[in-house]
Amino acid sequence: MANPIATLQRTAAEYQKMSKKDQKRYITDLILNNALYILMLAFCIYTAIQRPNFLSMGSLGNLIVQVAAYLPMALGIAGCIVLTGTDLSAGRAVGLTAAITGAFLQRIDYANKMLTFLPEVTPFWMFVTLLSVVAIGAVIGLINGFFVAKFSLHPFIVTLSTQLITYGIILWFFDFNNGAPIGGLDEIYRNFLGTPMFYMGNTPVPLYVLYAVLLTALMWFIWNKTVFGKNMFAVGSNGEAAKVSGVNVFLTTMLVHTLAGAMYGYSGFVEGFRSGSIAAGTGANYECDAIAACVIGGVSFVGGTGKISGIIMGVFVLRIIFIALTMLGVSSSSLYIIKGAIILCACALDMRKYLVKK
Amino acid sequence: MKKLIAIVLALALVLSLAACGGAKPAETKVSVFWYDEADVYLSTVRSELNKALETAGIAYDNQYAGKDQAKQLEQIKTAIAGGTTLLVVNVVTSGDPDIAQTVLDAAGKVPVVFFNRPIGADGSEVTLLNGNATACFIGTDAPEAGHMQGKMVGDYVLANFDTVDLNGDGKISYAMFKGEEGNAEAIARTQFGVEDADAVLTAAGKPALEYFDAQASQKWQTDPEGAWSAKAAKDYMDTNMVTYNKDNNNMIELVICNNDGMAEGVVESLKQAGYNAAGQHVIPVFGVDATDAAKALVAEGSMIGTVKQDNVGMAEAICATVKAIAEGKTPADALAALNDERFTIAPECASKLYVAYAPYLGE
Repeated sequence: MANPIATLQRTAAEYQKMSKKDQKRYITDLILNNALYILMLAFCIYTAIQRPNFLSMGSLGNLIVQVAAYLPMALGIAGCIVLTGTDLSAGRAVGLTAAITGAFLQRIDYANKMLTFLPEVTPFWMFVTLLSVVAIGAVIGLINGFFVAKFSLHPFIVTLSTQLITYGIILWFFDFNNGAPIGGLDEIYRNFLGTPMFYMGNTPVPLYVLYAVLLTALMWFIWNKTVFGKNMFAVGSNGEAAKVSGVNVFLTTMLVHTLAGAMYGYSGFVEGFRSGSIAAGTGANYECDAIAACVIGGVSFVGGTGKISGIIMGVFVLRIIFIALTMLGVSSSSLYIIKGAIILCACALDMRKYLVKK
Repeated sequence: MKKLIAIVLALALVLSLAACGGAKPAETKVSVFWYDEADVYLSTVRSELNKALETAGIAYDNQYAGKDQAKQLEQIKTAIAGGTTLLVVNVVTSGDPDIAQTVLDAAGKVPVVFFNRPIGADGSEVTLLNGNATACFIGTDAPEAGHMQGKMVGDYVLANFDTVDLNGDGKISYAMFKGEEGNAEAIARTQFGVEDADAVLTAAGKPALEYFDAQASQKWQTDPEGAWSAKAAKDYMDTNMVTYNKDNNNMIELVICNNDGMAEGVVESLKQAGYNAAGQHVIPVFGVDATDAAKALVAEGSMIGTVKQDNVGMAEAICATVKAIAEGKTPADALAALNDERFTIAPECASKLYVAYAPYLGE
């Protein structure tokens, strides 16, 4: 870890040595490279002036709780983007795993229990369910990874196909419930995720925030401290070069997708609790927000770059936009326009860095 | 050699398709077209309709357009080319008679039973139906759900005014969750769910409902994905309660939702904030659809009411109409033969049938 003050002093000294023109360019670059954060800061200040509650403890708590719900999925999909790919099946994978979670964990006395043969929910059974849905998510990811790696298909095509297939399975699954949403989830499951750990202002911070923190730490470790993580970045920046240097591209690609799938499985497990009941449409388009968060956070479609901290920032930015606009009470039309503009700006600024490098 | 295999495979494919389409021409073959397979209410209609048609011994197939009108029109043309003798159509683009006319043009002499999603607005569907003897419509009077919900909200608030008025300021603040922008039913429910409640309250000398955020530019919050989802309602409600809560003495006192999914999301959010569970203050939450999950919430007291769309009635009406048309009746006569208090022929048009909504406040 470099001493930040020393770094700053060095930067200042370099800045002094530059000519006037270079100084000007340096400042412009600095502003443009951080434009998104500057804009967000201005936006937050504006919102806080209009709605002082925006900066209250309760509001920050609400922000953290929402980020914790959206983060695992973004962490999963980020790996696919690092490999210059994408994953369109993510939302449906969440939908399927949420539906299975719901069906497995309904109260025994619920009048419209879907799988009537299941016993009463116990903590053990809940963990079995958690492991099962994570495994199911991982299998979807594994299939994605296999076709991407084995046949060199673009992930867009592969995951589009698995998205459709997964959706088909979801609909078939719901046919067993006469197409009705799956509700009546058991208290053991609800408490496992929802018991408040503490309160921020008046916002309860449920247990799943802790799990999200643990998962983030795990992902950070995988990305930065394991051979697999290093291989992922190597394959993402240049697959040929990675292959020549002895990286198993096939295995890495498979594992990245599998890991992503496992994260969707976990997201599905939480989604059931958050919604109260799961419908066939649950999960539709969830990948859009997750991909947007990654891109905003600097996980580039160019491949080979991205940081866990960036993904966290991206999710925070998207949730801040949602919360701020909700508090400001803007119309639905403005919400879409502002969100679209921010994603576009973020991507343009991100690409600008690469264009400059070239 | 490869070419030969390709040709053989292609031929096999064509032949197998031809074999599928080789039904006897005289037999009734019904094709049912759904705007989307994931719609919660329509899924329950579908499961009932499948049962009813099987019991009646009528051959049928279901096709799904995935919210794509162009795709649905192609499916309809393909079905007619494949020998379908009766079309049951749930149009994608609701409220546009031109779409319905396109379907009728494609159908030619094949009778068409439209259902659920409106095929016109402000009387344009009457002109269309009167001009086409081969068509009829079975649905609900879209604004009726909103009216019914509004009246239910008004009655409940009036009867429990002082309990509902949490901060005792003599006014009820409400939140409204809208399923999607630009949907005729969502618009009607959003409007009448409040207007009719206000009518009940003001008639009894009570003040009208007040939207919780006086500065908001619109008096509702819409699911950004347009999916009528619990998730969106929960995210909104969590955020709303940061500013509007008990500590600030301005808690939202009433929540009206376009459907039960959103109502469930709101209840979930309220429960985590210490409301709507046993022994706690219940913020009245209202939905539409009467899904099993919502009925369970009504039963445990954490949701007050919903409006029941009669899926069994809808399926029975469609099946009976299909059967009557197959026996040679005209669509209008087929509707007239339905003798059941759940169904009413629209006063302005003989080939339009309404399946009644019913308020649901628990059993």
